[in-house]
Amino acid sequence: MEYDRILSDLLNRDEYLVVGKKTVRLDALDKLLGKARFTSDYIPKNTMTVKVVRSTMPHALIKRVDTSTALMVPGVVTILTAKDVPGENEIGYALPEQPFLNDKKVHYVGDPIALVCAIDETTAQEAMEAVVVEYEPLPAVFDIDAALAEGAPIIHKENNVAVKTKIRKGDIAKGWKDSDVVVEDTYWSPYQEHMCLEPEAAYAVPDGVGKVTIIACMQSPHLVREKVARVLGWKLNQVRVIQALTGGAFGKKDDTGPLISGYAALAAIKTGKPAAYIMDRSEVLSVTPKRFPVRFKYRSGADGKGKLTAVEVEITLEVGAYANRAPFWLWRQTAHACGPYEVPNVAVDGRAVYTNKVYGGSYRGFGNLALHFAAEQQVDKLAYELDMDPVDFRMKNILRIGSRTTCDQLLDNSVGIDKCLAGVAAASDWAKHREPVRIGTKIRGWGVGCAYHGNSTSRSTPDWSAASLMIHGDGSLTYRTAICEIGQGSPFGHAKIVAEIIGCNLDSIKIEQPDTDSTPDSKPTHGSRGLMMGGTAAADAAIKLRERIIRVASNMLDCPEAHVELRDSQAYNRKKPSVKIPFAEIVEEMHIRGENPASYGFYTSPRRFFDVDTGLGYNYAVYTFAASVAEVEVDTETGQVEVTKIWPAMDVGKVIDPLMVDGQIHGAISQGIGFAIMENLQLKDGVVTTTGFKDYIIPSALDTPEIDDTIVVEEPYKHAAFGAKGVGEPSIISIVPAVVNAIHHATGLRFSTIPITPDRMHKALKEAGKK
Amino acid sequence: MVNFELNGAHVSFEAPATMTLLDMLRVELGVTSVKKGCEQGECGACTVLIDGYPMTSCIILAPQVEGRHVCTIDGLAENPLMKELREAFMENGAVQCGFCTPGILLSAYALLRDNKRPSEEEVKTAIEGNICRCTGYVAIIESILDAAERIAPD
Amino acid sequence: MKPLTGFSLLRPPTLVGALEMMSTLEHAQPIVGGTDIIPTFKDLGSKPVHLIDLGLIEELNGIMEEDGKILIGPTTTHTQILTSKVIEKTAPALHDAARWIGSVQIRNRGTIGGNLCNASPAADSAPPLLVHGAEAHICSLEEGHWIPLLELFKGPKMTVLKPNEILIGLRFPTIAGASSSFQRIGRRKGFTLSVVNAAVYVERKDDALKEARIALGSVAPTPIRAPVVEDKIRGKKMSEELIDEAAEACVEVAKPIDDVRGTAEYRKDMTAVLVKRALREAWRRTGGEL
Ligand SMILES: Cc1cc2nc3c(=O)[nH]c(=O)nc-3n(C[C@H](O)[C@H](O)[C@H](O)COP(=O)(O)OP(=O)(O)OC[C@H]3O[C@@H](n4cnc5c(N)ncnc54)[C@H](O)[C@@H]3O)c2cc1C
Ligand code: FES
Ligand code: FES
Repeated sequence: MEYDRILSDLLNRDEYLVVGKKTVRLDALDKLLGKARFTSDYIPKNTMTVKVVRSTMPHALIKRVDTSTALMVPGVVTILTAKDVPGENEIGYALPEQPFLNDKKVHYVGDPIALVCAIDETTAQEAMEAVVVEYEPLPAVFDIDAALAEGAPIIHKENNVAVKTKIRKGDIAKGWKDSDVVVEDTYWSPYQEHMCLEPEAAYAVPDGVGKVTIIACMQSPHLVREKVARVLGWKLNQVRVIQALTGGAFGKKDDTGPLISGYAALAAIKTGKPAAYIMDRSEVLSVTPKRFPVRFKYRSGADGKGKLTAVEVEITLEVGAYANRAPFWLWRQTAHACGPYEVPNVAVDGRAVYTNKVYGGSYRGFGNLALHFAAEQQVDKLAYELDMDPVDFRMKNILRIGSRTTCDQLLDNSVGIDKCLAGVAAASDWAKHREPVRIGTKIRGWGVGCAYHGNSTSRSTPDWSAASLMIHGDGSLTYRTAICEIGQGSPFGHAKIVAEIIGCNLDSIKIEQPDTDSTPDSKPTHGSRGLMMGGTAAADAAIKLRERIIRVASNMLDCPEAHVELRDSQAYNRKKPSVKIPFAEIVEEMHIRGENPASYGFYTSPRRFFDVDTGLGYNYAVYTFAASVAEVEVDTETGQVEVTKIWPAMDVGKVIDPLMVDGQIHGAISQGIGFAIMENLQLKDGVVTTTGFKDYIIPSALDTPEIDDTIVVEEPYKHAAFGAKGVGEPSIISIVPAVVNAIHHATGLRFSTIPITPDRMHKALKEAGKK
Repeated sequence: MVNFELNGAHVSFEAPATMTLLDMLRVELGVTSVKKGCEQGECGACTVLIDGYPMTSCIILAPQVEGRHVCTIDGLAENPLMKELREAFMENGAVQCGFCTPGILLSAYALLRDNKRPSEEEVKTAIEGNICRCTGYVAIIESILDAAERIAPD
Repeated sequence: MKPLTGFSLLRPPTLVGALEMMSTLEHAQPIVGGTDIIPTFKDLGSKPVHLIDLGLIEELNGIMEEDGKILIGPTTTHTQILTSKVIEKTAPALHDAARWIGSVQIRNRGTIGGNLCNASPAADSAPPLLVHGAEAHICSLEEGHWIPLLELFKGPKMTVLKPNEILIGLRFPTIAGASSSFQRIGRRKGFTLSVVNAAVYVERKDDALKEARIALGSVAPTPIRAPVVEDKIRGKKMSEELIDEAAEACVEVAKPIDDVRGTAEYRKDMTAVLVKRALREAWRRTGGEL
């Protein structure tokens, strides 16, 4: 099924009703009135508090956990340890090496050991401090080289390598022979903290015997259900998971959702009382997953005509204490290693390495942010080496229809990166800005960054999504998806797709909060699949319902089905538009005629092929492309960098709502700038020392650059509803390289690590004698 | 016993010294529009107006509002200026996850109440204490400027 | 983060009442805005103290100009300082510093007295007050005395205040032909603690520096003055060379440390940059040319 065409044929409209237009989000008013409920807003006063006793050692054997004194603190209900876990004591995402509660060994400072359940926070805190954990310390490793060294302490397995990846494309030796210029460098991309405004919270209520209801912030209620059921040793249908509105997630809550829900649920069923677990900011910063740190060793070559000839990359991903998403993360980096360019000869080797530090996890851009930080500097360097304009050089090598990606995937549709790049170059007057400009103590420079990001699963892993739709007696609708509202507005995007297909008023649709007891499994809200996969399942549900509405309406209007038009929650005959039947009447008739008023949408990605041994094949369903130009000002006296303007462009397939696209891009620009120049998670001996907004600074309103109108390119993806692709993740990827390339343009300095904080910049300028 | 005015209504509450204004509002008085993002005065999610001035309720002790007027967005639901702000936020897409939104609206409200025609820089300064991780601030800043334009007499 | 616990809060309406509490209660500690105390209690755990809220005592709040002196009550908020025309005119450095302390919410709540008595080496209001020659009025139930502000600071988070004493006032003279400037480096444009800050005060006589004072923050355990440098440039004819000389000399005075906000080396180098900028600005503000 080629969805983009099917829909336009089916709807036969000159202009879409809502798709592509600016619309006010259905959830905006509640949020503006302060009536939107987040998890902690559901928790009643006097609910039992759960706190987690965590390891204070980076690497140690647990000799003894003594809760006897703690249990005597008045107000303590119970304290749970590994032996109280009724099911499997395992919560790992990719690999089964992560205990839900640790009783044998701890792997980082922050590893959970016990759950204290008490009548209030103060009591829980007091009891937590009274729990005695006796350790036998083991040598710990805090960086990848130490972990890989001969004789290094073993964290989970010999040599500390969790997984490896590999790509061999073309003939790398020939590639080097064909190269007239070669550039080599090593890059380090550090941790980044998501800093969602809402700290993690979960609330669990025991429901009779053998059922528990959980309300929490998360990105996939069905994943949470699966993990919690496993820990409890229960069937999936015994665990009811409701996703509350989630105050920012960016990947973080895909990882923390199962953990926090597990803590609250275990406490609730063990005590028979409702239980609340709420993290505070310092706990979030200290123990929850971050953007994975990673080192890239790059070697890239091009010939004298400016064609890329070879790319060789060694990726060493630091996973921290647990692999978590590392295999998927590493595959993404491996598969995108050349950036959005065609390179005939490629060799990539990746490995993911354990250390005794807070572990990595999902974060917007999933591997590709760090990857493009390195890859896009390599491309820039080659351009400078060849004395070519960085935009022209990119244009010569950029992916187009008919190109093959890093992993030899043939691109046969939806490739708009050339238009993105041309667009930002024109908008920013790129050609006029080839010389940096000095203004007092500051120098202004301009840089460009390109990016691509595979949508949905890596390595052709099957992906599917589901949704349901119900039309009620008064013509109003209930839409259900397990794609979560985490700020990005995907469910609202689905509603627009539904409204377009059914012709109903947008505000006649209520989007239910995802609830595993009633919401179909849409699979997680990650991998840029929320709109692209989830929205297509929504379209499937809507098409089915539409067919029935049309069937009944054509009968009622006494006209051929092809003449029936649906809009404004009414049906009419296109040839005789004066007679209109409201949906309420149609629904009544549907019931009488035995037409099902509810529909279930299901969508599976087309089958693809991928060879894990060579790393070649049809890797991703489709790619989103982006390009940005950044203008920066570097104060050569203080080392302070200000990003003054960004020109963004993105090939989104199809815009469902321009406000949503802009919203994602603007937010991503801010997060990308933060990562590039200020966000600096610091650790000492494996302990996070930047534990709040004061020390882990992120951009404020005053740090916001001017952002030019987004250049939107629409190269539809043929297998998704209206051709839409994911925008939330890809939007951040081109920003960081654009900023670092602009900094290079201004100062002549290359930075192989970020953030480029004032003290680092100052030091570099000083060393280069440019102060 | 703390006696104060909350959104125009008199409130008496037995608050211990160790209770923050934020916890009193959220947990004891059920005013959940005031959000807890950091508990350290750093994020602005818990912003309330005290005698009209924006302050972060997470680092104020509940008994310290004795005799003062505390205002949350619930108390401004019908306020014409707040209505304009809401309209502008909706039209510009300035709301994403919404966790920062109540605090930002209060900061914006206090700004526009006292300064009918703020510059962009003044808008940014007024909300610099309200961290938003989702929107990148652009739409928020535009919305506040738009609202100012709509309420300005000319 | 730790739950707040184990302290009490007293809210005396009069100064005498407050001083009585300070001298009779064991472990009494003033609180006003709480913007330093409460976050610290949450980070490190609460102290079992009687917090004496000075916020209701009217005479401790406000800004007054009297007999060639500016008087500032300790509970005066940063917003009050920022919006005071008198301060803007007589002590521009203090005005500018107030702009950069925290966010609107913090400026509405935090006080100048709290900022000083918290004795952070990074306190932004300290350098401007130091260069304006401010004195601090320290008072107990028994007696009150004025000390030069510099003497208030004993170390990081330590003052000379005895357990029964509070800061009840600040004063500094207004001098014709004088001006000042405050400069700081933060890690972002929006509110953030200073990595380094500096204030400079100058009095101009034609094209010469009749008086020059320099104070630095975040480069030592307390905010400091740079008397050696001041002596070097006092009375000299103003020039870019003199500015450079002063700035370089200040680097020697600075003895900073590395922390999460910046390295010692960076702080030293920035001291020079900030002193330069402050000297230039203060000089221009007196009408002087360069
Ligand atoms: C988010 C945030 C940002 C901040 N940003 C900055 C910044 O940029 N620059 C900066 O300098 N500071 C900053 N601060 C620190 C703080 O806001 C200021 O130091 C503020 O001025 C403290 O005043 P307060 O009234 O709130 O002090 P409190 O917390 O009430 O008191 C602070 C200390 O002073 C003592 N004290 C208060 N008044 C007296 C008195 N009259 N006599 C004796 N002792 C007294 C108290 O016992 C306590 O030890 C920030 C704080 C926060 C939370
Ligand atoms: S919760 Fe109060 S400022 Fe963050
Ligand atoms: S909308 Fe999510 S933090 Fe502002």
